[in-house]
Amino acid sequence: MQPYDIIIVGAGGGGMYAAMEALQTNPKLKIAVVSKVYPTRSHTSAAQGGVNAALANRHKDDTIDLHIFDTIKGSDYLADQDAATILCEMAPYVVRELENLGAPFSRLEDGTIAQRPFGGAQKYRCCYCADRTGHTILTTLFEQCLRQGVHFLSEYYLLSLEHDGQKAQGVVVMNMQTGKIEALPARSVILATGGYAKMYWQKSSNAAGSTGDGIAAALRAGLAVEDMEFVQFHPTGLRKSGLLISEGARGEGGYLVNNKGERFMKTYAPEKMELGPRDLVSRSIEIEINEGRGFDSDAGQYMHLDLRHLGADLILERLPQIRMLAIDFEGVDPIKEPIPIRPTAHYSMGGIDANNDGATAIQGIYAVGECSCISVHGANRLGGNSLLDILVFGKLAGRHAAQLAPSLNPGAISTSAVEKSLKEIEGYSHHDRTERYGELRDELGKTLGANAGIYRTKKKLEKGVEDIMAIKERFKNVRVNDSSAVFNTNLFQVLELKNMIALAETVARGALAREESRGSHSREDFPVRDDEKWHKHSIFHMNEKGDITLSTKPVTMGKYPLQARTY
Amino acid sequence: MTEEKKDIYFKIFRFNPEVDQHPFYDDFKISVEKGVTILRAINYIKDHVDSTLTYRFYCQAGICGSCSMRVNGVSKLACTTQVWDELPNCKETDVITIEPMNNFEIIRDMVVEYTPVISKLEKYISWVTPKIKQQDLGKKEHIISEAEFKVYDAATDCILCGACYSECSMMTSSREYISPLGLLKAYRMVKDSRDTRSNDRMKVLNEDHGMWDCTHCYRCVEACVKKIPIMDAIQGVRNEAFLRGMKNSEGYRHAYAFTQDIKSVGRLKESTIAVRTKGIFGAISMLPFALKMLGRNRMPKVFVHTIPGIKHVKRIFQKIK
Ligand SMILES: Cc1cc2nc3c(=O)[nH]c(=O)nc-3n(C[C@H](O)[C@H](O)[C@H](O)COP(=O)(O)OP(=O)(O)OC[C@H]3O[C@@H](n4cnc5c(N)ncnc54)[C@H](O)[C@@H]3O)c2cc1C
Ligand code: SF4
Ligand code: SF4
Ligand code: FES
Repeated sequence: MQPYDIIIVGAGGGGMYAAMEALQTNPKLKIAVVSKVYPTRSHTSAAQGGVNAALANRHKDDTIDLHIFDTIKGSDYLADQDAATILCEMAPYVVRELENLGAPFSRLEDGTIAQRPFGGAQKYRCCYCADRTGHTILTTLFEQCLRQGVHFLSEYYLLSLEHDGQKAQGVVVMNMQTGKIEALPARSVILATGGYAKMYWQKSSNAAGSTGDGIAAALRAGLAVEDMEFVQFHPTGLRKSGLLISEGARGEGGYLVNNKGERFMKTYAPEKMELGPRDLVSRSIEIEINEGRGFDSDAGQYMHLDLRHLGADLILERLPQIRMLAIDFEGVDPIKEPIPIRPTAHYSMGGIDANNDGATAIQGIYAVGECSCISVHGANRLGGNSLLDILVFGKLAGRHAAQLAPSLNPGAISTSAVEKSLKEIEGYSHHDRTERYGELRDELGKTLGANAGIYRTKKKLEKGVEDIMAIKERFKNVRVNDSSAVFNTNLFQVLELKNMIALAETVARGALAREESRGSHSREDFPVRDDEKWHKHSIFHMNEKGDITLSTKPVTMGKYPLQARTY
Repeated sequence: MTEEKKDIYFKIFRFNPEVDQHPFYDDFKISVEKGVTILRAINYIKDHVDSTLTYRFYCQAGICGSCSMRVNGVSKLACTTQVWDELPNCKETDVITIEPMNNFEIIRDMVVEYTPVISKLEKYISWVTPKIKQQDLGKKEHIISEAEFKVYDAATDCILCGACYSECSMMTSSREYISPLGLLKAYRMVKDSRDTRSNDRMKVLNEDHGMWDCTHCYRCVEACVKKIPIMDAIQGVRNEAFLRGMKNSEGYRHAYAFTQDIKSVGRLKESTIAVRTKGIFGAISMLPFALKMLGRNRMPKVFVHTIPGIKHVKRIFQKIK
């Protein structure tokens, strides 16, 4: 088989922007986009609030520099400042490009792109399409990929990433509709497989498939992954399902209220109030609940997000999706009642270690979007910066790969790579196996929520690691009960669980090692940031035996020196 | 506060082409709390009773469009449909039927072959082809008035879930038909001032299986999971054709004849519509088709009865006008 010039794994915003840019850079390239779901199903569709760009349409005095500073401060100074600079500098360009290509951004009265305030930003900077920004961006990118004739391999599942130690060779995938395992040789591979926050399962706002498959494949292929302990908890998940009520709701003026009827954020962020950064607001809710100021229910303790004072008109016009979510999943109409919320695992800052072109240590292998750690979000991502991240670095990686690919000559993928996958998959349906998928998955989610959640301690994290190792052991005995080759969802669930377990171990081990509190990572036993010891990235490798090893890497600094982070 | 609970029977369509010669139904009884969605209920069945049950889902939040299936006969999203809300729609008390969408090939259980939808998006040029040259992209934004934006805003809500496609009566007669979601997308693009390919798009829309084939049954509008006024879009592209004077097509004449028929008797005179839209030669060329229909007993009746409430129809018509 002739190798592809570029295989992109993932058809979310990151993957499709990369595909579009690669074809524009060189229309002759043979490119395919592999995705385990049809492109518009990708999790980018769930983004509600918007994408940041200092267009200065709303606040004329907004600048790219302010955006850079907000990003770095928001990251608790763990972002690499060169990467954050590229992110913010390119922001107006990518947002306008998307607009030029048909994205239906909401408008201001003068006809320019509308912008709203978002957590952790000094200015109104977040560009939006009502409260379905991700959906419209993803749809626009899909339309543009169709226009350019991008070749999609939809419902193909990534099994492994292949390289020869220096250069990319391609990927091994399974055609989900037929069960056939195929090697797809490629000069370069761009991983854009999204995040891993679904490992918290019931306590997560993520899609069922945000299971970190690409990161786990990279880890197994010997690549470095970075800063895995940083998982962002969004303050306003719905009480029962963990589904997200966007920051847009607070951006438009929603109140967070405890059982005493108080806007409790005045204690924690007197200036920014509800619009403090996510990590801070999530922690504040936890404290309120722990101190007995939460509301009680079968589904656990919760807080109120009150939108009623905004009025029906504003809610209907700017927050229609959010209103439907509250009605469909909580039976609450925000026009009439406050929405019951609690923090939910939402975004994974960690990911595959990649440079400012999205390139990894292996020539021809790239990582972009939520599966990468470039690192622009450091210890805490600002709302509206991750759609931006997927666009900017999707574009840069697409361009870089398109320029480089023709000069690369990949060696063939070994037949043993395919055989290995085949053997593993056949093994799962062996009748001696007794462990149930659903049980392991639920236990993993629970121990992560309890021991590697918002507040962490040495004791909890040790328990977390222990639980995860036990689950990892039991997984060796997990059974796939469905033996069919056709669309075997039971098999894919098990493969995803394998990935979540592998990454959960990095999250818990990273969190245990990092004896400080920074951004989303709060250690009760080490409540302050320790720049002397921990102003550095965590790096994880998997050795041949499958054990995780930890090391560190310095943070790239720039204009902005370390400062205390207060809001 | 404990929630209400109830035993619910799920009667679920099963078909695995590897092993089954014919589709069949499986019954599952589970105890369900109030507030649980159809998706959570079938996930429970998959996790605890039968892990071979096959369906798609992803976001679980009504935004990705993966989980569309027929619940008690009607296509909807499993993840936003409450079990409790379906109980009044059950034919047998507390028995909820789950089936794959219509008008698609079945891959397995509720999973259907979705590529025809994408082929249609391609056929009808469902994207913006920008005025701005490639090298100038990203430099500045278009100025777009709130008024223009409002015209296609609702159409951009579409999540390609396929519920309308599954319910469309015209799709059932011909899988070649553009489909309601195709018409909706076409409308969204035609009305976008940033796009430059409206002429080409209108041309394809004007061909067979395009914008004129819709029978106005409104089932798509009823089914749309995002409550998008699809019929406005269908009327919108047709009006565009009228405005552009695209009279030289079968479809235009058909639509014209159609509106005349509705005005006069409130129901289609299908047997004469062929004469009026194809012209007499065209109608003769359709004879073999008519003979086939006669053979299958599906020949439209030659005598048309005026339907009761014709005044009402006339009134509706005037409103639309
Ligand atoms: C509810 C919610 C709201 C959000 N709101 C905002 C917001 O307002 N602003 C903002 O900036 N960010 C927001 N985010 C974050 C942002 O949406 C995501 O970080 C971003 O969309 C991730 O895009 P991506 O392209 O990296 O991955 P995704 O969109 O997750 O796409 C991943 C792709 O990889 C494919 N894939 C994964 N595994 C495999 C495999 N094994 N084989 C084959 N293919 C595979 C999938 O099929 C999919 O196509 C939100 C996130 C959530 C959960
Ligand atoms: S109104 Fe037209 S498009 Fe809609 S379901 Fe009926 S025939 Fe199909
Ligand atoms: S028009 Fe409505 S029902 Fe049809 S695909 Fe779009 S969202 Fe689904
Ligand atoms: S699972 Fe995404 S719409 Fe239902």
